[in-house]
Amino acid sequence: MSVQRLPLRFRISLRRTPGTLGSAWTQPLAIAGMILAGAWILIAIFVPLIAPYDPLAQSSQLVLEPSSAHWFGTDELGRDVFSRVLWGSRLSLPLAFFLVAMAVAVGGILGGIAGYFGGWVDEVIMRATDLVFAFPTIILAMAVTAALGPSLRNAVLAVLVVFWPSYARVVRGLVMSLGQADYVSATRLLGASSRRALVVDVLPNVAGPVMVLATLDLGNAVLLLAGLSFLGLGAQPPTPEWGSMVNTGTQYFERWWMGTFPGFAILSVVLAFNFLGDSLRDALDPRSSWAVQGRDR
Amino acid sequence: MLLGVGITFVAFVLTELVPGDPAAANLGQRAIADPAAVQAFREHYGLDKPLPVQYAVYLQHLVTGDLGQSEQSHRPVRADLSEYVPATAELAVTSILLAFVLGITLGVVAAVRRNRLTDQVLRVISLGGISMPTFWLALVALYVFFFKLGWVPGSGRLDPGVLPAPHVTGLYTVDALLAGQLDVLGTALQHLILPAFVLAAYNVGLLTRFTRSAVLEVINNDYVQAARAKGLPERTVVLRHVLRAALPPIITVGGLAFANVMTGTVLVESIFAWPGIGQYAFHSATTLDLPAIMGVSLFVAIVYIVVNFVVDILYGVVDPRIRVT
Amino acid sequence: MSSLLEVKGLRVRLPTTSGLVTVVDGIDYEVERGQVFGIAGESGSGKTISVLALLGLLPDGAEVEGSARFENQDLLTLGRRSLREIRGREIAMVFQDPLTSLHPMMTIERQLTEHVRYHLGLDGTKARVRAVELLQQVRIPDPAGALGAYPHQFSGGMRQRIAIAIALACGPRLLIADEPTTALDVTVQAGILRLLDGLRRQSGLSVIMITHDLGVMSSIADWLSVMYAGRVIESGPTAEVLARPRHPYTAGLLAALPHPEAAEDTPLVSIFGAPPSPYARPAGCAFHPRCTFAIASCATDVPGLLDVGDGRRLACPVDPLLVRA
Repeated sequence: MSVQRLPLRFRISLRRTPGTLGSAWTQPLAIAGMILAGAWILIAIFVPLIAPYDPLAQSSQLVLEPSSAHWFGTDELGRDVFSRVLWGSRLSLPLAFFLVAMAVAVGGILGGIAGYFGGWVDEVIMRATDLVFAFPTIILAMAVTAALGPSLRNAVLAVLVVFWPSYARVVRGLVMSLGQADYVSATRLLGASSRRALVVDVLPNVAGPVMVLATLDLGNAVLLLAGLSFLGLGAQPPTPEWGSMVNTGTQYFERWWMGTFPGFAILSVVLAFNFLGDSLRDALDPRSSWAVQGRDR
Repeated sequence: MLLGVGITFVAFVLTELVPGDPAAANLGQRAIADPAAVQAFREHYGLDKPLPVQYAVYLQHLVTGDLGQSEQSHRPVRADLSEYVPATAELAVTSILLAFVLGITLGVVAAVRRNRLTDQVLRVISLGGISMPTFWLALVALYVFFFKLGWVPGSGRLDPGVLPAPHVTGLYTVDALLAGQLDVLGTALQHLILPAFVLAAYNVGLLTRFTRSAVLEVINNDYVQAARAKGLPERTVVLRHVLRAALPPIITVGGLAFANVMTGTVLVESIFAWPGIGQYAFHSATTLDLPAIMGVSLFVAIVYIVVNFVVDILYGVVDPRIRVT
Repeated sequence: MSSLLEVKGLRVRLPTTSGLVTVVDGIDYEVERGQVFGIAGESGSGKTISVLALLGLLPDGAEVEGSARFENQDLLTLGRRSLREIRGREIAMVFQDPLTSLHPMMTIERQLTEHVRYHLGLDGTKARVRAVELLQQVRIPDPAGALGAYPHQFSGGMRQRIAIAIALACGPRLLIADEPTTALDVTVQAGILRLLDGLRRQSGLSVIMITHDLGVMSSIADWLSVMYAGRVIESGPTAEVLARPRHPYTAGLLAALPHPEAAEDTPLVSIFGAPPSPYARPAGCAFHPRCTFAIASCATDVPGLLDVGDGRRLACPVDPLLVRA
């Protein structure tokens, strides 16, 4: 008689939920995301205390390479790149949160209405989302910003226009499926008003997928805003916005520090949000989880 | 088709939002000197008539292919587009093909090595891919591979002084191949590589993730076990049985991938001095050349609809269960 | 003459979130040539896992003990490559639900021929001829036309026939049928069973028939093994075991079958309690908490499977004469 352990080689694991290292929140990726996002949030809050220079202060030290005096070098007007990158967080982060919150609110409400009432209301709202989805994001955002005039405020508006439909769709779908769910019917049968049924029973179940979408959209919001500013349609100089800083960086190609560091800031912020969003998704749906395996006892 | 009308409506409304006199903006200098030209312009575009009529005129022009005249180039937008589209087409197609090949491969590997080190590494890489600002990647890639390492040429579609092959498709690589001009093919490819990879980055990240989850959905199905029970080698099981079943959801990403590439081209074509519609759009946006912006937006939207349509058809090709008999 | 398949002391442990769990707890049986060998048991009894172990189709990290002698080879010690050669070729398997065990996106021809070409090296034309033959054997109308069709275009019964054809394609000596008729209508069931019976009489094929349905057992199985909680608790010629069950569990199962000719108000008998999950099997005889004949030793001693004459085996210390059918 022999005992064998079947080898793991080029074999697709048939297990659906392998042993994981504790809950989804202790996964290395979630931790990394939280640390990174936390760091940026702290930077955004305390930047007046941390930044060594005034981001708008021009000097005669033009396009200097990174040095001990200027960690990220200086730009074409002698401003300290490091300080400008730090101050950029004050723009990008709050705007991203604001954008997503508004998109969730607008999209969620419209989607909820569409799903709950159905009929022509549903039709109208759905056609509107189709319309937005028909354009690749940046084209639409570009068109809107160009039409309204290039400014940060209009860029934010444009991104809002582009983001809300996803939430409308998700919420509508969930409301429609949950509306049929037994426990909602039960609540209604017991006499609770429609609105109460919506809020108390439907909302908590809708929250999950919306949260995942929202966290990932935080990153997308940062990317899109930066992209629009890069095109000159968003933040206008001298505002220290990361996207427009990269734009200037392309004009001063050999001065690599001018464009690289702001872009890197964008990358790290978006990465942090994506790490978090991915971990959130794992927590809610372990089936396709990328969790790190624990050891079998 | 209702969608198409809707799009034109949106485009039109946006045009109307812009303050200022389109005639003056369009004709520039001539507007001041020549009132007759201004008047002709006004009549042609129905600017002196009420809005709904203007919209009708606009649609009428669209149907005949008249997209207005670019304020910058003073040529019909349509002519501008036909000049720049092939360049972007070449870039977009290459980039999407690259992204699919790389993304699907990595996704399958990640699924097969689920939750082990390879999978975790691929997860981080794919998240990185979708977190990267494309314009920044273009900048960094150009700096490293062109400026510092000199591995690839810096700008344009061909080396200076090299003429493209006789125009058949407008895609320099294809035309060169057709004409047998291998040296032109070589330089065109060299110029194509870096932009194509940069544009593919986001889609590779996206596809890796999609493929991975699609494969995992399929992996526990009975027919996979049945295929193993037939004694087929694992590689065949994965590539032929698993991948084929996982393909439908992956294909639906095609439309999304196209949209991403379009977004990318707007951002990076100017960095690579690639004379395509992305750069055209960028330029139009910064100079507020409205007819051009609207023209590009409309064109891209229409192509997008076509692409989604093709994707739907492909879906039916791959999954016989949903074919319309 | 030796048996076709001789299983001794087969024990299988599967990895779970709470460690390894014993699913199959030491079973022995022999399958003769040309015999239909039935394994009966409820879900969770380990019957499917025990046969998957024979073919090496267990999930990663599973542990297997014991021996399974098939034609002078111990299946449990064979390397992957050798095992693959046996799978599909010498030993084939038919799964429960033909809707999910046939690949939805591959043609019938492909599913019939791919392993034939792999194992037997036939070329395309020869394989196609063989495919048509097979479909004829399982009585699929218009076999040539069926080749280009897809599984979803057939009814449940036909799909299962196709699955059987696929299993028999390489001329195996042993066919394992895991609940082959459970997913089908009763009327269709009979057809499938007749087909299987006919096939084995024609070619001397041995069949391991796994089912929880004692009616199916009685109509097709020559020999019957009853499994409970990972162990074989009784075995012998089917007619004998079903007519004169000697284990309280078997007796209970039979008593629970509603008799078609019983008086209208005859109460339905059932065994109280439920089969234990593999995580929480009782000590001693696994059935003892539900057994009306249990004695003190049943709670501590695992009864061995002993010969009790006439080819029958029983794993129960209680005097068989006390157990009434």
